[in-house]
Amino acid sequence: MSTPRKLLVVSFIISSMILGACTKKEESQFESYVHEPLKSSIKGMDPVISSDLYSGIVMGQIYSTLVQYNYLQRPIVVEPMDADGMPVVSKDQKTYTFKIKKGIMFHDSPAFKATNGKGREVTAEDYIYSWKRLADPATHSDGFWVFEGKVKGFKEWREEAVKLGKANYTQAVPGLTAIDSHTLKIDLEKPYPQLMYVLTMIPAAVVPHEAIEYHGPEFQNNPVGSGPYKFRSWVRNSTIVLDKNPNYHEEFYPTKGEAADTADGLLADAGKKLPLNEGVVFTEIVEDQPRWLNFRKGVFDWIEIPKDNFDSTIKGDAIDPQMAQQGVKLNKFVDPDVTFDSFNMDDPVTGGTKGKLIRQAISLTINPAELIKKFYNDRAIPANGPIPPSISGYDPSLKNAYKGPDLEAAKALLKKAGFPNGQGLPEIKYETYAGSTARQIVEYLQQRASLIGVKIKINANTWPEFLQKQKQRKAQMFGMAWSADYPDAENFLQLFYGPNSSPGPNNSNYNNPEFNKLYEQASVLPDSPARTAIYKKMVALVTEDTPWIFNTHRKAYVLTNGWFKNYKRNLMNLNYVKYYRVDKEAKAQLKKKL
Amino acid sequence: MLSYLGRRILSVIPVVFGVTLVTFVLFNIVGGDPVYQKMGKHGSEAEIRILRHEMGLDLPLIQQYGFYLKQCLTFDFGRSWATNQKISAMIDNGVGASLSLAFPAFSITIMLSILISILIAFFRNTPFDRGLQVICLAGISISSLVYIIAGQYFFSYKWGLFPISGYDPSWSGRWEYLYLPIIIWLLVSIGNEVLLYRTAILDEVYQDYVRTARSKGLSEKVVLLKHVLKNSMVPIITNVVIEIPFLFTGALLLEAFFGIPGLGGMVVQGISNSDFPVIKAMTYISSVLYVAFNLLSDICYALVDPRIKLE
Repeated sequence: MSTPRKLLVVSFIISSMILGACTKKEESQFESYVHEPLKSSIKGMDPVISSDLYSGIVMGQIYSTLVQYNYLQRPIVVEPMDADGMPVVSKDQKTYTFKIKKGIMFHDSPAFKATNGKGREVTAEDYIYSWKRLADPATHSDGFWVFEGKVKGFKEWREEAVKLGKANYTQAVPGLTAIDSHTLKIDLEKPYPQLMYVLTMIPAAVVPHEAIEYHGPEFQNNPVGSGPYKFRSWVRNSTIVLDKNPNYHEEFYPTKGEAADTADGLLADAGKKLPLNEGVVFTEIVEDQPRWLNFRKGVFDWIEIPKDNFDSTIKGDAIDPQMAQQGVKLNKFVDPDVTFDSFNMDDPVTGGTKGKLIRQAISLTINPAELIKKFYNDRAIPANGPIPPSISGYDPSLKNAYKGPDLEAAKALLKKAGFPNGQGLPEIKYETYAGSTARQIVEYLQQRASLIGVKIKINANTWPEFLQKQKQRKAQMFGMAWSADYPDAENFLQLFYGPNSSPGPNNSNYNNPEFNKLYEQASVLPDSPARTAIYKKMVALVTEDTPWIFNTHRKAYVLTNGWFKNYKRNLMNLNYVKYYRVDKEAKAQLKKKL
Repeated sequence: MLSYLGRRILSVIPVVFGVTLVTFVLFNIVGGDPVYQKMGKHGSEAEIRILRHEMGLDLPLIQQYGFYLKQCLTFDFGRSWATNQKISAMIDNGVGASLSLAFPAFSITIMLSILISILIAFFRNTPFDRGLQVICLAGISISSLVYIIAGQYFFSYKWGLFPISGYDPSWSGRWEYLYLPIIIWLLVSIGNEVLLYRTAILDEVYQDYVRTARSKGLSEKVVLLKHVLKNSMVPIITNVVIEIPFLFTGALLLEAFFGIPGLGGMVVQGISNSDFPVIKAMTYISSVLYVAFNLLSDICYALVDPRIKLE
């Protein structure tokens, strides 16, 4: 071939590549699917193994549980999912009997050899099998805490498995009985008011033993559940596609909600059969810019506004008018979480009675309004105690005497502790992990504490090092956030219960006998005025003792595209996609405006 | 030649052994205890003991290191501690995406760089040469993040020429998502390569043998392409071959911004999660590739420069 001809061929190939790139793709087969971005890659899809939030979101659509949270009602209430009505609870609150709906089918899978790949019906035994997997040491599950020490004989069952080096699934757990194929009885060691909440969680989801046996450890990449969506594909670190389960049992969009739900259009689909869409495409995308641009281009249906795009999007707490014209809607929620700086109560400086005055003094230096403006784009409310709004036990009238800024009071407390203007007080070491925003927040604390003479040294750690220092009680001070596992203040108050100290979830190692006694009293009480009164006393104790500086409850600013319907946020409810609806006609129109 | 190769291969063993030892020691000193991460929020001392045992962390260090060496020999690194995924499958899934981006981008960059360098050498010390040098220096001075953010914003979002991000694992579908990252790779790296190759070529241009070639009446084109280029190849080959192993480990920023599921993200996640099996596998494979390509570059020297003998 002559040189000019070679050049011609090469230029033809290059131009066709460019043209190929420029040509708009034909309308995607996933146009009527929900398109949701995930901020991180998922780890897998086995409910007992993959315990991170994003894996949980994907699994929330694939698997089903006995009960779930009502999508619209607030305060949050539990309602049946696989259960046929709410359970019968014994008078002593120690026995729960669930009826399971008939005709709930597992997704089709080659694992069901007896039925030529057709999914079979979910039974009570399946639930018992699935929960035993949580206790099986071979699964390395970190989700067993939901039943450990609560369900009769379950802890012993696990201990036996550890001793033998292998779990015996044929051996019964005394507290779990399949009375018949569709009746499940749970016997508890003591009343466990949070049981109904933990039964909504992913670790309590039902899986078929055939699929576990068929796929072995690869079950996490080939999930088989009985939820509203079936697994189609997963390109690791890229996309997960789930299709609507055509055999999903009869379930309908809620007909009741909060007062504002009707005006917000959230009851337009009341009574319709779920799921309301054809499937969901999850895109794992770590960086903010491509996530944001994809949303603005109409690829994603909704997004939490990234920090760097906040100022250009929100004008005076409302959405930018141009975006509003394009049909984009702003949704605001206060998340059930708390951010805090924790002191190590075992530490000779920050712990103890003298330490209490130091802790209170440092807490008083913080200006919550300034903190929220500087680091949260005003997307948070000050936290006066550990319990966030929307959680049973939250007290909006709570006053915290050590909430700043009050530098004079802080100086007085420091003087009382024997360290006037910080003289003689050793430098306090603050452990943080290497995130830039986390670091900036600590620097703010460092600067505020320096105003009363307290010196704080910041140590940056990798995440594993950071965890290790906490769990080995070597972190003198550190910052964290806790997001609710379930809508009960107990989930936050357990973080101060002495026996839960590190390596348990109480990383401040706060151990107040009075608090511990109250916690034990409240932990067996159902939601009631008596329990709320105890919670108040417990909150008063921790705000006085200040093992934490209570910082914020974060707000979520979520944008939804105009064609995307029925978005209502509840971080504890992971099976939400079935309620979403994509208006295809509106999508075709509105995408032209983007 | 064969005895040289044998000796070089034998000399690689202590190098790779050293890398495994350093990795192991570093992980155990500064890695953070992975048990606490795996344990989740609700741990207890008993759970820690069980986990430590199951992860083999209760074994004496020498035994743990022996186990690591065995894994290196069998290339079976087990499962990730963070995700429980098979590491071989993780690498298998990522290497295709990484190479699909890196190989064409790297090849085009090298070819274009050599071409431009020859052009510059041809027009050396002219305004064209100086202008290109200024452009190359300016290109190097801008952070790769600027190219990525601006490229994604204008080419994809504003002008709709390319998808913003994403990946299709099918052979025909993936390219649509790779054009822009490849162009950005080219823009980020070409300046550096051109300046390096220009120096290598100009080093040869003033040699006696070039003067002799010119005095024989050969055209400047023939002198450059036939004599100078061949003799400039040693530093060029060194640079190219040394860069090849890094193509396998992925381009972290490009992969993260363009949603390309390559090995770059896997390595970073492995490090941030103290996922020692992943770290072990990737360090070992990288070191093996590095020494293998080093050896390859030595062989290439002999091929392009007859003065070099492999003895």
